[in-house]
Amino acid sequence: MISFSPFMFSFLQAIILASAIMAILMVGTGQIRSNIMFYSLQTLCLALSACFCAAIEHELKHYIVALAIFFVKTIGLSTFLFWITKRIGAAKDLGLYLPLPIAMHLSVVLLVFAQILSNQLPHLNHLQPLAIGGTAGISLILTGILFMLTRRLAISQVLGFLTMENGIFLFALTQSSGMPLFIEMGIFLDVFVAVMISGLIIFKIKHSFEHIDVTLLTSLRD
Amino acid sequence: MNIAVYTLSALLVPFLLIGFVQKAKAQLQNRVGASVLQPFFNIFKLFGKNQIISEDSSGLFRAGILVNFCCFAYLIWSVPWLSFSPAISSVDIFLFVYLLATARFFSILSALDTGSPFGAFAGSREATLSFLVEPAMILSLVAPSILTGSSSLERIFSFTHQVSSQNPIVWIFAGISLFLVALTDLSRMPVDDPTTHLELTMVHEAMTIEASGRNLALSEIGYAFKLAMFFGLSVQCLLHGIAFCLPSDQWILLAMSIAGIFSLGLLLALLETVLVKLKWTKCPDFIAYSLTMGLFACIAALGVRA
Amino acid sequence: MTQEVLILSSFLIPLLGAIVCVFFQSSRYSGKIAAGSCLLTFVFLSISLFPFLSDFKNVILLPLGLRCEKLQALFLLLTSLVVTLALMQSDIYFEKELKQENTNQKHIAWFYFFSLLFLLSMMFVFVCDNLGALWISIEATSLLSAGLVYFSRSKHAVEATWKYLIICSVGIAFALLGTIFIFSSSQYGAIEGGSLYASQLKAVSENLQPLLLKLGFIFCLVGYGTKAGVFPLHSWLPDAHSEAPAPASAMLSASLLNCALYAIYRILDLTTNSACGKSCHEVCLWAGVITVIAAALFLVKQHGLKRLWAYSSIENVGLMMVAIGFGSAPIFFLQALNHSIVKVSLFCTAGNIIQLFGTKEISHINGLLRRSPLDAVLLLAGAMAVTGTPPFGTFISEWMLLSLSFERRYILVAVLIFIALTIAFVAVSYHVGRTLVGGKIELLSDTVSIKNSVIPSLLILASVALCFLIRPDILGVLK
Repeated sequence: MISFSPFMFSFLQAIILASAIMAILMVGTGQIRSNIMFYSLQTLCLALSACFCAAIEHELKHYIVALAIFFVKTIGLSTFLFWITKRIGAAKDLGLYLPLPIAMHLSVVLLVFAQILSNQLPHLNHLQPLAIGGTAGISLILTGILFMLTRRLAISQVLGFLTMENGIFLFALTQSSGMPLFIEMGIFLDVFVAVMISGLIIFKIKHSFEHIDVTLLTSLRD
Repeated sequence: MNIAVYTLSALLVPFLLIGFVQKAKAQLQNRVGASVLQPFFNIFKLFGKNQIISEDSSGLFRAGILVNFCCFAYLIWSVPWLSFSPAISSVDIFLFVYLLATARFFSILSALDTGSPFGAFAGSREATLSFLVEPAMILSLVAPSILTGSSSLERIFSFTHQVSSQNPIVWIFAGISLFLVALTDLSRMPVDDPTTHLELTMVHEAMTIEASGRNLALSEIGYAFKLAMFFGLSVQCLLHGIAFCLPSDQWILLAMSIAGIFSLGLLLALLETVLVKLKWTKCPDFIAYSLTMGLFACIAALGVRA
Repeated sequence: MTQEVLILSSFLIPLLGAIVCVFFQSSRYSGKIAAGSCLLTFVFLSISLFPFLSDFKNVILLPLGLRCEKLQALFLLLTSLVVTLALMQSDIYFEKELKQENTNQKHIAWFYFFSLLFLLSMMFVFVCDNLGALWISIEATSLLSAGLVYFSRSKHAVEATWKYLIICSVGIAFALLGTIFIFSSSQYGAIEGGSLYASQLKAVSENLQPLLLKLGFIFCLVGYGTKAGVFPLHSWLPDAHSEAPAPASAMLSASLLNCALYAIYRILDLTTNSACGKSCHEVCLWAGVITVIAAALFLVKQHGLKRLWAYSSIENVGLMMVAIGFGSAPIFFLQALNHSIVKVSLFCTAGNIIQLFGTKEISHINGLLRRSPLDAVLLLAGAMAVTGTPPFGTFISEWMLLSLSFERRYILVAVLIFIALTIAFVAVSYHVGRTLVGGKIELLSDTVSIKNSVIPSLLILASVALCFLIRPDILGVLK
């Protein structure tokens, strides 16, 4: 167990962990606005940790990525999702299968599970202090999946997907010293466009079905 | 010297804290508000008043209030809610939790004893809340105890152990969790609005609705002690979190503890100004957050130990 | 040099075509422009790539780290051919839709816009050497084809688009994680600082960290497998195929699935020389077998004509996965080629039939033999071809696959596939048979005009021709 050991614990680790915790707290509330707020905070933590990584590894590309995260995700996507929520008038997600508090506690358990998983993986020597990033990344991915599974509304599905994607980014940042810059930017563009298109489709779902509860979209069946 | 200072702060801080929270809230809401010393006046006033006891009540009513008071009076003297050693003796975390439960049990009994319907309402709500919040409270105390390898509160909050200085995350989560627990357990804002006087929705205020005069004074004092104690413990957790950058002089620590308690009071006033009371059925969702924080603290502590 | 210029310019044509289509939104010629630019792309690619196929050199290096080997060249040609044919057919298809006032000129122009960009993104899939760029292109194909599925703007279409978008995006996210694992696996001594270039990774594949490589492959299999419709991640596929307009279904089935499968092939290829190579191939193989069986069983109980062909695509995806699992690129390509050609023909015919009857439900389509004999024959021939009956090309590739599994001593695989193919054949014949005969005798003036059936008939003939053209020695060219 390295991640929580007293000597490694630096500010960077705290921030990396904070992003996973923000995601877990996001699971606990059904208010879409608070969910988006938590998402925004989570990406802010990501942007900060990318900055720190840049400082530690002396890599210019991480600074650019951090800036892109901050402007595209923390500000751009959050505002866009707020706007959709407001336009559609979706305030609350009632949840599916699990009560929300239980889902939140489950995601804490998933964090432990993520820690166990990430300990199974080999770590690069020079990235050893960032091993906690693996835990946080896997935890974000699992939390994102849990979020998608326990929610009804289309907009929550998008948030869950974005959380998952954040986890993948964090994993890449801390486990493989980051992807090449142009790949990173391409991924950004794809995710950004995916969210924009999903937003448009959510509008259309609202328009055609008069709700955005995806569990009720069952007209296409075998 | 230590005992004298401790006694003095135990007698002053709880009431000043209540007065301070009320004053701060009033200021935040653009009111003048009562003086910070108002709780003292209130208690003197209540002691001077005649008491009316319902004819239908038995001795259990007075006994319950008395037991409640005694529990808190004992706890405030033995729990390390300030940065020093308590005057009387050390308390184990489980004794702490069970004494709280005993106090609550007797106050619920006395609320039920008078036969007032509001008392029964409030008693049932109080029981539900404490039932929900207890796991979080235990977890948030167990986490530092795992870290320090002791279940004695005095040993846990002693600023001496080496580990404490390097594990901010455990302490900070435990502190946040305790603060959230305190909000619920003391029936403060998101769970219960202490300023409303609609008995149908109140929790704490309706419990003491039948008490008057000296009895009311005793339960008010108990409440003040409890508030100070919880905030104090929460501040101790947070201070341990940043212990690595604190001086070791005990007077400075004492001053910081008291300042911390009052700043949590300010935070409480702020929260009570901006938040609205939650629907009763939504309370478990709020309490779940304190449990989550407690879980984080425990996991982190276990991670450190392993 | 001219070769490279031709290939690169063939990437520009769809882009220009797309811009022109949107620029002249309301004109009636957007279909012609789109089909024309696709055809031009195909011609450019043919001119540049056909000499390369019989050439002795193995690889064409393009700028920006793009590269094209023989397999990629073949897939490029196949993809551009499929899209060209589908767009030619869609011009005729939409003519009728416009007549029935189901759509308008503007929507059609956007449809062509998305189709051309979709073609472009699919072409990038095959020339990307960088695995990250491969991921980006595949995600781009989902995003752009969402515009095609959404075409009719009906309730069902919105639902299908939503499911398509969200399931594929989440699935593809796993592939990104897998890509990161592979990237990470190359940093343990194989390549200083790691690399994402498949050709570099392939060269050092013995030194890649085996655990990470294996995890990377499994996540990529899940991710790209979602996109390819591997069971049990196929749920978006029938919905999207049945709700998209017929030419779009043809493109999805005949080219998009190939892209995803090609991505799986590319990743699996990296593991060949590694310690985990054998187990990865086995995983892929059995995923394919399970998909074939599941799809065959799903085929039994289908109510929609296009859903039927969607499930048959899943079945073929399973077969291609088995070929990939055996590490046999030639059989993979042959199966893809035969399947794509037949599927375009089938979806186009299905589109004609659905326009004729106004419904997708098989139970409402009766007496096709009397109402439109040509379409009936095409449907029957397509159904035979897609289930691997001689004398169609699919027979040959499936035969090769089965004999390969015997050769490699995977008897169980061969038996299971054979049983599944039999079930699929019976199921498809039953459903198609129901549509051919029966129904009330009524004379309807509305028939399918002959020009709607030109492309499907040509493709069926091509499939027959392939059956006789493919020789075992053609496999040598690819190796």
